[in-house]
Amino acid sequence: MQSADTPTSNAGRAPIAEFRAATKQYGAVTAADQIDLAIMPGEFLSFLGPSGCGKTTALRMLAGFEVPSSGSVHLDGQQVNLVPPHKRPVNMVFQHYALFPHMTVADNISYGLRQQRPKPAAAEITRRVEETLTTVRLPGFEQRRIWEMSGGQQQRVALARALINQPKILLLDEPMAALDRKLRREMQIELQSLQRALGITFVLVTHDQEEALSMSDRICIMRAGRIVQIGTPRQLYDAPLNRYVADFVGKSNFFAGPLSQIDGPIGTVSLPGQSGQGRLGQGVQKGANVSLSVRPEQITLTHSGPGLEVLIKNRIFLGEHTEYLVNHGDLGDFLILVSRQGEALEGTFEPGEPARAHWKPEAALILNND
Amino acid sequence: MSPKLINRLLLAPAGLWLLTMLVLPIVVVVVFSFGERAQAGGYVPAFTLEQYLNLPARWKAFQNTLTLAPVGTLIVLLIAYPLAYYLAIKANPKWRTLLLILVIVPFWTSILIRSYAWIFILGGRGIPAILEFFGLEGIRLINTPFAVLAGIVYGYLPLMVFPIYVSLERLDKRLLEASADLGSPPWRSFLQITLPLSLPGVATGCMLVFILLMGEFLIPAMLGGGKVFFVGNALVDLFLQSRNWPFGSAVAVALVLVMLVSVTIYMRAIKRWGNGRDDVSLM
Amino acid sequence: MTDTPDHISAKAFMAELERYRKGSVSRRHFLGVTGLGMATTVLGSAMPSLITRPAYAQGSIGDSVVLATWPNYHDPASFDAFTELTGAAVQVNVFGSNEEMLAKLQAGGSGWDVFVPTNYTITTYVDEGLIDPLDLSKIPNYDAASFDERFASPGTVNGMLYAASKDWGTTGMAVNTSQTNGRVLTSWKDFWEITQAEFSGRTTVHDYQLTTIGNALKSFGYSFNSVDPAELAKAEELLLAVKPHLFAITSDYQPPMRSGDAWLAMCWTGDAKQLNKDIPEIQYILGKEGGEIWSDFYAIPKGAPHLDAAYALINFLLDPAINYKEAMFHGQPVADARVNAMMSAEMMADPIIHPAAELLSALEFGAAATLTDPNRAELMARFKSA
Repeated sequence: MQSADTPTSNAGRAPIAEFRAATKQYGAVTAADQIDLAIMPGEFLSFLGPSGCGKTTALRMLAGFEVPSSGSVHLDGQQVNLVPPHKRPVNMVFQHYALFPHMTVADNISYGLRQQRPKPAAAEITRRVEETLTTVRLPGFEQRRIWEMSGGQQQRVALARALINQPKILLLDEPMAALDRKLRREMQIELQSLQRALGITFVLVTHDQEEALSMSDRICIMRAGRIVQIGTPRQLYDAPLNRYVADFVGKSNFFAGPLSQIDGPIGTVSLPGQSGQGRLGQGVQKGANVSLSVRPEQITLTHSGPGLEVLIKNRIFLGEHTEYLVNHGDLGDFLILVSRQGEALEGTFEPGEPARAHWKPEAALILNND
Repeated sequence: MSPKLINRLLLAPAGLWLLTMLVLPIVVVVVFSFGERAQAGGYVPAFTLEQYLNLPARWKAFQNTLTLAPVGTLIVLLIAYPLAYYLAIKANPKWRTLLLILVIVPFWTSILIRSYAWIFILGGRGIPAILEFFGLEGIRLINTPFAVLAGIVYGYLPLMVFPIYVSLERLDKRLLEASADLGSPPWRSFLQITLPLSLPGVATGCMLVFILLMGEFLIPAMLGGGKVFFVGNALVDLFLQSRNWPFGSAVAVALVLVMLVSVTIYMRAIKRWGNGRDDVSLM
Repeated sequence: MTDTPDHISAKAFMAELERYRKGSVSRRHFLGVTGLGMATTVLGSAMPSLITRPAYAQGSIGDSVVLATWPNYHDPASFDAFTELTGAAVQVNVFGSNEEMLAKLQAGGSGWDVFVPTNYTITTYVDEGLIDPLDLSKIPNYDAASFDERFASPGTVNGMLYAASKDWGTTGMAVNTSQTNGRVLTSWKDFWEITQAEFSGRTTVHDYQLTTIGNALKSFGYSFNSVDPAELAKAEELLLAVKPHLFAITSDYQPPMRSGDAWLAMCWTGDAKQLNKDIPEIQYILGKEGGEIWSDFYAIPKGAPHLDAAYALINFLLDPAINYKEAMFHGQPVADARVNAMMSAEMMADPIIHPAAELLSALEFGAAATLTDPNRAELMARFKSA
């Protein structure tokens, strides 16, 4: 499955890193299971999944902290299974940064340079630290102590420290988990532009779909040690392989039932009290238990239009959009996202008010549950 | 009750304790040190500097103490550090508690019994007999400074192991990963990350061992055969044999001063070495 | 190692261990070095359930009595018998020197009921008001007439009996003759000479100013009790020259003598007897220049917490039958004619226990001035710290 949606822009170029059936076992637990993946030079790739899905293990195999139990990891065409971390041309931004508490900002950032043999000249080190601090927009912070810095500043120091050796791949392990939401947004934009400016391959591990969607060229969705689907954010959003991916990438409502009928690209799912139609997703078969997936923004809410009779349960104002939680007697609760435009047409809906919800069959997707 | 009163009540027990158990004895010792010995021993009030002028008579004891205490501390450190490192970083966590207990198990028996074991081990029928078997004749271990050092290392090891263990155990292992990731081989990571970050433990351990060693008297008496004489032994003799309380007090005052001076020098050195780091404090 | 007799059999080891357990051997050294008198052997009281029931008078004198004494100085069986008889368990505190005992009593709060001072200290205890006269009505076993005046008289001060004679003895040298190549030591001069030559690293001297300085003085022919600065200076010079050649400065010399680490020790009668009994090559010699003769006493410190028990213990230990058993254990001569009458002719003729009269006549009792002289104490300290 994995090779199916490799972006075409990199076609013909050699991958900068590769997993070949890479598996990592800890005793009876398989943390990473038969991972096959080619990472292209200059791309921004994210591993996305819940905790324990194997994304961090994959990253650590790339960094050299874990040796695959079977299969192999390649950097620049070389098999590197047994190459220790300090000999790999990759650098990592650690979760919670792992900055050296007994060193100044300058000493932290120059650490990588100072490990090179022969050691660069002192003046060269100073110059590079200054330059890198400028890159991460912390000029003049050389002599600061780590504990004097805010979370966001520490994040930039960690980034500078990992960048100073100009790694072939920058690995980022949940780098923004400790930041507040606003700062996270800023850093996401900054990271993305930095990646474009430097042209370095970035590999990010995150459990935050929004982070992955907003920054990545490609996202690798993982589950229980395996890769479920790889694709661009748009591919994953529009054509999720299964309910798991659809659930992880963006919000979606799922209505479960057997696939009762297939008419060309459109199928019909038997739902409690009615049936629902949608496009056929990958590999769905007639008679199988499937989920009808409908994105909240694909549903039209009207006061007296066609569709399901629902009751407005809750309303959340999100600025550009308003999110309604509605209830249908047979189908239960689901979400509907109404844009400003939609509201302009229909007006607002008050909780407790009856309404109608409908979507076009093409807007719904029929997905395997797994 | 006013907060001020509550604060005072909270501090009262500790303050009273310090006053009676620390300040008063020190005052008594200082007062005694200017007095004279009574005919049958003890103290007669006087004001004389005679006791202090006589201090050079114990120069050798101070010399022994000031040599063997730092050397002993250093050797204890050199043995304790790898042990603490193994326990904190290398040992299987499953066994760690057991191993830590093993470090202190010998201390469940009295120092006296253990010292007697050492007297046998270092005596003519112990290690020297084994060395003789291998052709090394005439090696004398018991009642030498070496025996005293061996006893010191044995007796003080846990005091050094535990603070270092704690500082190493608290060390964030990801810092070592970060170091490796940035191109540092393991041994250099140790020197640049592990060692500096365990300095607080090292400083605490050294301090504990050094201060206690300065007052040590049992080990030199037991394993030094009365021939390796510490200031502590001089004090025991002065108070309990010759009953010369004033001179004993003067020696005690001198010991406290020497200790304060060496501890101050040590703290300065640590501070300089730590380069003003806030995370490297002494305790 | 081959020429050292392998005398520590498993049995002997167990016996040693038992003695240690009873607080007679090594503990004293601990006390010697700490001087705290804290390592107290609690015979029986630590394990009350193990005590056999007293035959009578349980509780009438209390359930414990504290004895401060010397190492290897009592038969543990005597204390067991006392406990069985009276219900009072005997706590033994072992000391290394009279100075140490004096220091403890001077400091106050010793908690002792009975202690064992040596002849020359008693006047000091009386002068310092540290002991009370004995109430002879409570010690029916004390029969003044049966005690040898020479050894018992120091117990009487200003016409009042303050201390009852326990035993007496001498201070000589124990030498392992298997190491001497036939050389016979006869004097303290020999003692210090051989220590600086063939026996270098093999000699122990007491951690005790009276005997160590006294026997150095004797080798020059001076009085054992001298406090003359010029004579003390000569003794100091000798001691400092000898120091590098010593195995140890310790009053606990039985273990190194037994293990073969030490070959020559400044030694008291009882230790000599005990060593000689197990290792016949270890012989006891009195310096021909003279040296110390001493006698030890039972006394009760002022303010003894268990006064009735104190008298009961002294009375019990002075019972000739018990005293005989004690003497058989500690190997010291006893001043009580009733006890000597029970001794075998062999014991009475033993040259360690009862040396020849002409050797005894050269010996001196320690003097009170020697105990309190600050210069001798300082000399000893300089010697130890050198």
